[in-house]
Amino acid sequence: MFITQKHLSRRTALKSLGVTVALPFLEAMVPARTALAQTAAGGKLRLAAIEMVHGSAGSTAIGIQKHMWAPAATGRAFDLSPSSLAPLESLREHLTIVSNTDVRNAEAFELPEIGGDHFRSSAVFLTQSHPKQTQGSDVVAGTSLDQFYAQKVGHDTPIPSMQLCIESIDQAGGCAYGYSCVYTDTVSWASPKEPLPMIRDPRAAFDQLFGVGSTPAERAARRRRDKSILDFIASEVARLRRDLGPADQARLGEYLDDVREIERRIQKVEASNSSGDPRELPGAPVGVPDAFAEHVRLMFDLQAVAFASDITRVFSFKLGRDGSSRAYPESGVSAGFHPASHHQDREDRIRDFQKINTYHVAQLPYFLNKLKNTPDGERSLLDNTLVIYGSPMGNSNVHNHKRCPLIFAGHAGGQLKGGLHIKAADGTPMANPLLGAMHLLGLGDRAAFGDSTAAMDLNAAPEATAAL
Amino acid sequence: MKKFAFAIATTTLLAGLVAFAHDEQGATPQAPAAARPGATVATPRTTMPAAASHGTVAFGLTAVRQTELVTTYCATCHSERGKAGGLSLANFNAMRAQEHPEVIEKMIRKLRAGMMPPAGSKRPDAAAIEALTTALESRMDELASMSPNPGWRPFQRLNRAEYATAVKGLLGIDVDVSSFLPPDTLSNGFDNVADAQGFSPALMEGYLRAAGRIATLALGDPSSTPTEATYKVPRTQSQMEHIEGAPVGTRGGVSLVHVFPADGEYSFRVMLHAIPTGQLYGSIVRGEQIEISLNGQRVAVLDIDPRMSEEGVNGMNLQSPKVHVTAGPQRVSAAFLRQFEAPVDDILAPQDYTLADSQIGSGFGITTLPHVRDFSISGPFSVTGVSDTVSRRRVFSCRPTTLAEEAPCATDILGRMASQAYREPPTSGDVQTLFRFYEQGRKGADFEAGIQAALEALLASPRFVFRLEQPPAAARVGQTFQVADLDLASRLSFFLWGAGPDPELVRVATAGGLKTAAGVDKQVRRMLADPRADSLSTRFASQWLRLQDVDKIRPDALLFPYWDYTLAENLVHETQLFFASLVREDRSALDLLRADYTFVNERLARHYGIPNVMGPEFRRVQVPDERRGILGQASVLLLTSVADRTSPVQRGKWVMEVLLGSPPPAPPPNVPALDQTGGSKDGKNLSVRERMEQHRANPACMSCHRVIDPLGLALENFDVTGKWRIKDNEVPVDAVGELYDGTKMSGPAGLREALLKHQDAFLLSFTERLMTYALGRRVQPYDMPTVRRVIRDAGRQDYRLSAFVLGVVNSAAFRMSRVEGTDTTADR
Repeated sequence: MFITQKHLSRRTALKSLGVTVALPFLEAMVPARTALAQTAAGGKLRLAAIEMVHGSAGSTAIGIQKHMWAPAATGRAFDLSPSSLAPLESLREHLTIVSNTDVRNAEAFELPEIGGDHFRSSAVFLTQSHPKQTQGSDVVAGTSLDQFYAQKVGHDTPIPSMQLCIESIDQAGGCAYGYSCVYTDTVSWASPKEPLPMIRDPRAAFDQLFGVGSTPAERAARRRRDKSILDFIASEVARLRRDLGPADQARLGEYLDDVREIERRIQKVEASNSSGDPRELPGAPVGVPDAFAEHVRLMFDLQAVAFASDITRVFSFKLGRDGSSRAYPESGVSAGFHPASHHQDREDRIRDFQKINTYHVAQLPYFLNKLKNTPDGERSLLDNTLVIYGSPMGNSNVHNHKRCPLIFAGHAGGQLKGGLHIKAADGTPMANPLLGAMHLLGLGDRAAFGDSTAAMDLNAAPEATAAL
Repeated sequence: MKKFAFAIATTTLLAGLVAFAHDEQGATPQAPAAARPGATVATPRTTMPAAASHGTVAFGLTAVRQTELVTTYCATCHSERGKAGGLSLANFNAMRAQEHPEVIEKMIRKLRAGMMPPAGSKRPDAAAIEALTTALESRMDELASMSPNPGWRPFQRLNRAEYATAVKGLLGIDVDVSSFLPPDTLSNGFDNVADAQGFSPALMEGYLRAAGRIATLALGDPSSTPTEATYKVPRTQSQMEHIEGAPVGTRGGVSLVHVFPADGEYSFRVMLHAIPTGQLYGSIVRGEQIEISLNGQRVAVLDIDPRMSEEGVNGMNLQSPKVHVTAGPQRVSAAFLRQFEAPVDDILAPQDYTLADSQIGSGFGITTLPHVRDFSISGPFSVTGVSDTVSRRRVFSCRPTTLAEEAPCATDILGRMASQAYREPPTSGDVQTLFRFYEQGRKGADFEAGIQAALEALLASPRFVFRLEQPPAAARVGQTFQVADLDLASRLSFFLWGAGPDPELVRVATAGGLKTAAGVDKQVRRMLADPRADSLSTRFASQWLRLQDVDKIRPDALLFPYWDYTLAENLVHETQLFFASLVREDRSALDLLRADYTFVNERLARHYGIPNVMGPEFRRVQVPDERRGILGQASVLLLTSVADRTSPVQRGKWVMEVLLGSPPPAPPPNVPALDQTGGSKDGKNLSVRERMEQHRANPACMSCHRVIDPLGLALENFDVTGKWRIKDNEVPVDAVGELYDGTKMSGPAGLREALLKHQDAFLLSFTERLMTYALGRRVQPYDMPTVRRVIRDAGRQDYRLSAFVLGVVNSAAFRMSRVEGTDTTADR
């Protein structure tokens, strides 16, 4: 019940105001090695599930041959240099690569579904369920992995989970091929019928996580004001209660609990603020930054700080929108993402597409290093986090969902050893490693997830194979 | 004879009321005149002679005979084994009716609607059914009069709509509360049912955030930093038609009132839709421009490059230069300049230029136009101050020029604001508490900052967001009491206006003017005549008739190419204007079914085929016979359809639930959808009716669908969007059917007559819903005697709406409450 209410609230809040400000100097953004270890956050398992669309160059025949995604060797001695995962070389000990899994529920099951892959895939990534083809509000997919976890631990933190995205979302109405846009707009589903909208605006996410205000001083003033108003509400409630009937007294008492809850939350934020030296980040432009990398980094900053201060333990993060033609000039390729993904199986164009994949993966080290450098209890935040990064599509040129990209990073509280490449047997559902991940997250009672056939052991080092 | 029965029952009830009121007063001494004058234990307000006839239920039908009738005609199906509808009447005994009031009320409901015994089974003659029903009713009414129960609900909190109205009333600005407050939970169709109004930290925080944001917006914020607000445009919003509020000579786009926090520079960004591959949707047409205007004045014209795409540096965005705007609510529009008049002659007709399918946006042969996706306002950059605004004028009733004037001025402002926000005159303690916030805010800043701080506290106060009703000090758990005069004033104004009382009502209540029936009557009539009573239409009737569901149906773009967002909005507006006219003209509730007029603008008139209506304003028009009343209005017809076909089942269900107050039982599990029955058989097209008949060949389905379907099939001449049609899927429409009681009916007029024949059921449903909304709690079996009394009294006044309103307002349920212990529930 409690969780449900929080879910409601978050969904509303996400529609929020739409008000953004130049992203402020985030005080305590990432406190350098300081006393954060002493905060309540220590030892709690965090989850960041990141989706990128359009599969990878490494899922094509040529890409497999040239190891553009999956390294040649399985086991520990894998070589990342030809792969889009190359930017993660320095973090390889924290990496668990699971290659060669399929997302079958993203395939077309019925005639009218053929061709609609872009408008269906994202709904499958974390649910591994087949979305119902509808343009109406009667959408059905599955409960997503992050939400299963949020339902387990969400009540321990001020915000049960948060959903972030980079490209603009388009809530209502049909998209194309008879699919509702929500399938394209989010990867998180609170229940099979409850898609959760994602926040694109770093400032809106920031306000929800840390409170309203554009400078540290403003936020501090805001918190002071909030606290005195909460005191006022509490004393008013206490006074008004006396004159009510017992049932209404009890009802008002519930409200008092909520007042206390908000007070606790303010105290938590203040505790985390006072625990580290404020570190100043450059201000961002008003609203959503134009540059992809800048936008992604701000979102990663927020996730790292929210994890560090235990404001929430669950993030899902959608890096792209299916079918988007956004260009990433910094990748060295000027073609748009979607046109580039239809490379017609030409090697030169596949190579260009790989550059885009590599550029996307190259955003990860910023986040992973940030987590690595943040102490959390006895260990680092990276040790206590499970990061999932993958795509529900494989070879985008033909819209298939085979040999899809999937990697894990972090150590899930020491349960995930890392430094491993597991190549799944042909035809293994991606749901298998995801179910394995759910077991690491303490969801061991789940026997199945989507079309899983078994939970994959993410520490099982296969016999090392040489490059094929 | 029937009339006589009513009269007796009425007096019985009143007598009971008076009697128990006296009891109460005897038991509890008058509360000491404390902070809340008027909160006294019940005092009799009627002086009806207590001529009661306790105990006997005559009217020609003895209890033995009642039992006999039920045993003979009902208990065959409603047996211990059969339990039709989950009900056994095998051991029915009229003498022991008091033991199962909910069963008796259920029987009365079905008998009044003429639904039982079903057609085809053995039935007593109509007179016997009438006599039985009357006897059961009288028995229940009499029982209620002996131990009246005003019911109880927990205290209410302001829901989204009430919160927004309250803020508008207090500060004169419209705020989008959906960005702060969680959605309201509906119960029995209404958003104000107290025990469904949960609390959560999110709600608490929502109230807190809203208070801060609204206080800042209302007074303006010279220290505000740039923010970006984004407004989304529905995909189905036609870009061909002029949007209300936008300058003449434009088409499509968006027009809205934005509250600017300070005087300064702002910039505007328009984002256009792209086709799936990233190019501009509607790139065929060249030379298109978007005009940005402020209060109708052009501030920028943006050229659209037909080659723009998501791959471009600016993506699909058009950015305006910075423009100086003053603080406060201002109308901003971003709309296309109209550069052509007539429709384009295309190879393929586009879907009225809406974005139903984004893939058509680049094909030759289809002229599509660019669509605005969203509109953002950024700023303020370089703030120059805060100009006078409507809310500042409302707040700053005095402007101190010296330090000495500040404190008295602040006290004055806060007292006045608190009086309105708290819905009663504040105590000096209330004002002092707010004054402390003023002092905190004033410290180190200025007078305005102080007022803003206090305003924020005021908006977050439980006194503002909760409607607390104090029982008299001496009342004990289980006792009933008459709600205090000021609480009654609030109940009245939230019922009739969806907002707190105005100063006049507070004044009257404080002066004891609501203690007499005449005083209440006068206030109710004054309030019904006030434009704020439109909330009975926009909130009560809209929720009762489920108009919010119109948003959920998106008619198939290929079958209904003319449908767009504006049309849907117009349909809802039509029904709201229609209901508001019933209230304003104090017409009969039955006119809801039979009125020969409605309200249309040009667009809607075209939809209905009504000639000679020009322009966007709605006006009253006569309608042909088939469009009379609510059943001829496209809003209801649309919300009971699915995207590509009508749904006689949904329509029948709507009629049963909304108009007859008798919801059909839920279907058994594993029923295949109608869509799985094909649109043709043996090479012959099938109409929806024929598909349904195939579909429900199963006898288990038939028993209920025999009742539900004919109600909907009578409306088959109306298509998904409520347009009149004579063919469905090339097959002539057959709108003939048999009502559940065996009456033949044909078309909407036939259905209307059938419903009017069973007007008792309709009036019962209407009154129950009105009471639910008025009381903020679900109507219980023990309320049914009150409901019947309201209907009987209204019947003597031609069922005028004011008679229902007054009936509800004068009921014990509305005027009284009970001290509730913690171990009970609201449903008791």
